[in-house]
Formats: sequence, structure tokens, C-alpha cells
Amino acid sequence: MTDAIHMAAGEPLERIQCQWCQGMNEKTALTCRSCGAPLDIRNLVSESGWREAPRIKDMTEFQFSSSTCQVEGEIVPVAEIHLGPGDSVFFEHHIMLWKEDSVPLTVLQLPGGMKRAFAGMPFVISVATGPGRIAFSRDATGELVVLPLHPGMEIDAREHAFLLGSHQIDYSFVRIKGFANILFGGQGMYMDRFVTTNTPGLLMLHGYGNVFERTLKPGESILLEPGAFLYKDSSVNMQVEFQKLGTGFFGGTNMALARMTGPGRVGIQSMYVHHHTE
Amino acid sequence: MFCTNCGAQLQDAANFCPSCGARAKRPESPAAATVPSAPPPPIQTSPTPPPVASQRATVSPRPSGREVTCPWCAAVLDATLLSCPRCGATLDAPLEVSETGWKQLPGRKDMAKLQFGDSFCQIEGLYVPVADVKLAPSDSIYFTHHVLLWKDPQVNMTTMSLSGGWKRMLAGLPLIMMQAQGPGHVAFSRDAPGEMIALPLQPGEMIDVREHLFMLATGSVAYNWFSTNIWYTTQSGDDKETHYPVGMFMDRFSAPQSPGLLLLHAGGNVLVRELAAGQTLLVKPTALIFKDPTVEMQLHFEHPSTGFSLWGSWGNRYVWLRLWGPGRVALQSTFERLEGENASITNCSPATRQQW
Repeated sequence: MTDAIHMAAGEPLERIQCQWCQGMNEKTALTCRSCGAPLDIRNLVSESGWREAPRIKDMTEFQFSSSTCQVEGEIVPVAEIHLGPGDSVFFEHHIMLWKEDSVPLTVLQLPGGMKRAFAGMPFVISVATGPGRIAFSRDATGELVVLPLHPGMEIDAREHAFLLGSHQIDYSFVRIKGFANILFGGQGMYMDRFVTTNTPGLLMLHGYGNVFERTLKPGESILLEPGAFLYKDSSVNMQVEFQKLGTGFFGGTNMALARMTGPGRVGIQSMYVHHHTE
Repeated sequence: MFCTNCGAQLQDAANFCPSCGARAKRPESPAAATVPSAPPPPIQTSPTPPPVASQRATVSPRPSGREVTCPWCAAVLDATLLSCPRCGATLDAPLEVSETGWKQLPGRKDMAKLQFGDSFCQIEGLYVPVADVKLAPSDSIYFTHHVLLWKDPQVNMTTMSLSGGWKRMLAGLPLIMMQAQGPGHVAFSRDAPGEMIALPLQPGEMIDVREHLFMLATGSVAYNWFSTNIWYTTQSGDDKETHYPVGMFMDRFSAPQSPGLLLLHAGGNVLVRELAAGQTLLVKPTALIFKDPTVEMQLHFEHPSTGFSLWGSWGNRYVWLRLWGPGRVALQSTFERLEGENASITNCSPATRQQW
């Protein structure tokens, strides 16, 4: 797990490293310029090793490529993006809150920067291109999880959990075999996979309730309520197990738990209800 | 040295609190720095606590000599602590009490730690809090299976055996209680924004909880249930339906021999009030969280005045739950809609009526 670097008081510091995204910041910075995490509060880490996603202070601004994002509100936070010329973000259209007239919207082009076969999918990914402002929010109390992605990073996220991705990020689906009927009432389950190729990008998720992250060591595993899963490094293996609930009277039922095995990060949300997606 | 934010013990050289992340503040004067740095003593309950809700648990005296009483669970604690180790309440902020006497649930620092038996429970997050329990080998807890969030692979989960503290009749209910046995971590949360209520139970203490608000209880807490006898029947055509505004059954938790801990989750904000003997209050039935067993419940119907229309007085009616003191009652600020409130009621449990 990430732990704060202990620095003796008085030691000269040129840069501060953000403990959430590892980005480097000027020593006078109060919030991280690449993920918005407060730098003057140490990590909130539970004894069991879960680190609470940084609570982004109201109106915090951070940057990605030539754009900025300001986070407004704390209960159901809004991500307001000021897109620089030539920058674009992709998202699911139902989370748009407001936008300026002049910001063009397109549907993700298959042969474009983000490829793959979406054609058969039951939802459409929209793209907004700068310059201009557009803002997003979701439908329930929760936290914004800001994950700057560096080249080579691969993140798997729960279906419909992502708020937006910047145009440098390559987006695809991963079909999880055998999960379908167990976890999501037969709707089938896909995980969104986000990969950066050559340039750093930004990925924002919205987790319901509070969000916690833990880094699993190679071979270390933990059992999750499947509805609590939010994101993971693609190196983390996810496998469903059953817990038999015998009652001695009516044969008992099964309870599904997801076994996550490291190495890598796992993110969970504390409000695990399965919200309706389209 | 102790954290000024959450009360956790700190190493003298620490710049930050390892428990809550606040910056460590060093005592200003050398005199203040001599505050004993020994870990807070384990809580000891007094050998013969009186079987009433307002009893106190005592803690071995501290060299500092100063004591504070936890505003929530009435434990007597050393004044250097900032969070109550029994219920997680902050001790450095005054309890918020409304003019009418409703007390807000005391504040809780994120990552506050509670102690029970040889185990700990850390409450993480502020919107939809997680109860992260570190079970000692000798301790166990029970819970309903849908509140489980995650667990260590080695924590053993079994379904609750129906002998022992459990009523055999429980088998007739669509309810599976699970038991987790230490050692290891196991964590729980519910699916709505709200507050976690920690209710330490002293031997002999009992509490009645509306169904589905229960989160977990320690092995020493006994569980029972009783019929609420609060119901009304509505009829629309040939369609008859019986409604139970506070549920058909209510859970009753008690600590028969040794102290125990009960955790509830309520939606929105939580307000608690003490009713005097004979004092009554009308509340939204679905907002009730818990009550002392001494508090009685009954239905109450209220018909607002509608001027001249007789019809109007039939169609417009409010269903209340009347509570009678003495004892504590707790309400949550979010609640479900009451079913059948506007339908024609043909029969009901004993009720009072007010026609304006």
C-alpha cells in the first residue's frame, strides 16, 4: 500500500509527490495538479490497508494535457471540464450535466483514436471536443476517483462506473466469462478497460458512497461483495467463488464473492447497490 | 502524544496521525508534554452495573485525573481521549441538541476505532460508512449476509446455528444470519447514504430495532424478535391488503451476561430523544430506528378539517405512530413511503383518532 514519505521537518523540499497519483508538485502546492488530491492531509489508511480515495476539496482544479477540470460540490460532485483547443473527452451521454453551446459533440468514431468494436453495444460513447466547457455528474452520493494514467497502465473498471476519459486513452471492453448470471442478474457483464499508449491521459470514475483502494501483493487475495468492485489494475485476477449458506431447513442458498488476487490495485465502493443502467 | 483530531496514540516524532491523517500538533509547553504516553487502558465495565440505559461504564483512573463522559454511550473516559473507544463518538465537540430536545448523533471522525472484547472495529468513510472489523481469534460477530462488503480469505463464515442464543422459530423467517469467526478482517456496509449507529449494550440492557436496520452484533448480544401488533387493512374492490407500517416484527437485542456491541445503519441523519414517563409523540412510522423496550407504540389516525365536504375527510388522512415514554426513541431523516396511506382502511390494530 502507498504510505506517506516521512520527511524530517526543516529538510528542504523542492517537490512534493502526490501520494494518490505519484505526480510531482511544487512545494507550495496545496492540491495535486494532476489529480486534485489535497497535499496537506496525509492518507487516510485503515488498519486493514484500505486507503480512502482523497476527498477532493470543493472547487479544486487540476490539469490534463491543455485542459483543466474543476470539481464542484462534495456530496454528488460535478466535474467541470474546460477543454483546451484540440483536447477531447469521451463519456456516456447520460451523465452530461451542462455544456456550452459551442462545444461540438460527436459519437466515438470506430477508426479514430479509440478503436475497437463497439458497434454491437447497447450504448453509445460520446465525445466532446474543445475549446469550451462541459460538466458531468452522476445520480447518487459518491466520490470522484481521479486516475491519471501513465503510458503502459491498464485499468479495468466496473461497467458504467467511468465518468470520462481523455482522448489519449484507449477504451475497450473485456467480457468476463462465467460471471454473467451470477453478478448482474443475467445482463451479461463487461468490464471497461482503459489503456494508455504513448501519452499520459486522465480517467475519472464515479464510485457510489465512499471509495477505498488497496494494493495487493503478488498472490495476496481478498474476497469482495461483487457489487462493491469499482476498478482494478489489469494484473489483478478476479474469480468468483461461492459461499454455501446452509440453513439446515430448506437446502440453503449460495452467495457469490469475488476473489481478487494480486499483484495490483483494487478499488471498491461502499454503496454496493446495483444501480440501473440502461 | 495523542492525535488532536481522532485521539489515536502517536509516536513522539510523528508528523501525521497514522489513523486519521491529521497533522500532529506538538504540545506547546513542557508541562503539557508530560501527558502520559501509555496506550489508553482497556475499558472495564463496573462489576455491578444497574440495568438501566443510563448506566456508566468506568475506566481505570488515569494519572491526569480528569475524566469525561461520552455524550452518546455514557462511558466514563480519560480526558486525553478524543474519540470514545466504545462507540466512536468524538469527545471534543459538544453534542448538538435542538430546542425541542432532539439530539444529533455525535460526530465521528473518519477512521475512528471502536473496541469490543479483544477485537476492534474501524469505521471508514463518511457518506456510506464501512464497518471494518478486526476479529480476535476468540471473538465472533453475526450479521445478515447482504451487508458483507469484503473479508480476508481466512475469516470463517458460517450460518448461525439455531440452537443457542437463537430462537428456533427464526427458521420460519426469510432471513439468514451469518456468523464470522476471528481471526481476521471482515467489513460491512449498506446501500444508502447514512450514519452508522454504535450501541454498546451493558448486561441487562435491551433495545428494540425496526427490521432491516441491523448491521451486525457481537457474539455476546442475544437476538430475539416480537410481533409489533401495528397494522391496518386496506380494501380496494375485492383486493384486501394488510400493511405493517413498522414491520410485522421488531428485532430486540440484549446483552444477557456480558457487554456487547450492536451496529445499526440508518438513512440520512439520526436524531435521538428521551421521552419522559407518559409523554407522547407522533412520528412517521417508517422513520423509527430504535426505541427502549419501555416505550410503547400505537397507531394514530389524523383527519384534517376539510370545511364542508364529508367526502374529503375520508380521502384525506394521516397515519402516525404514537410513541409513549418513558425511554429513548431514535428517528432517521430519510424514510420509505407508507403503503396504503390513502386507501380505504377497513380494519386496524388498536388506534387513536383525531378528527379536526
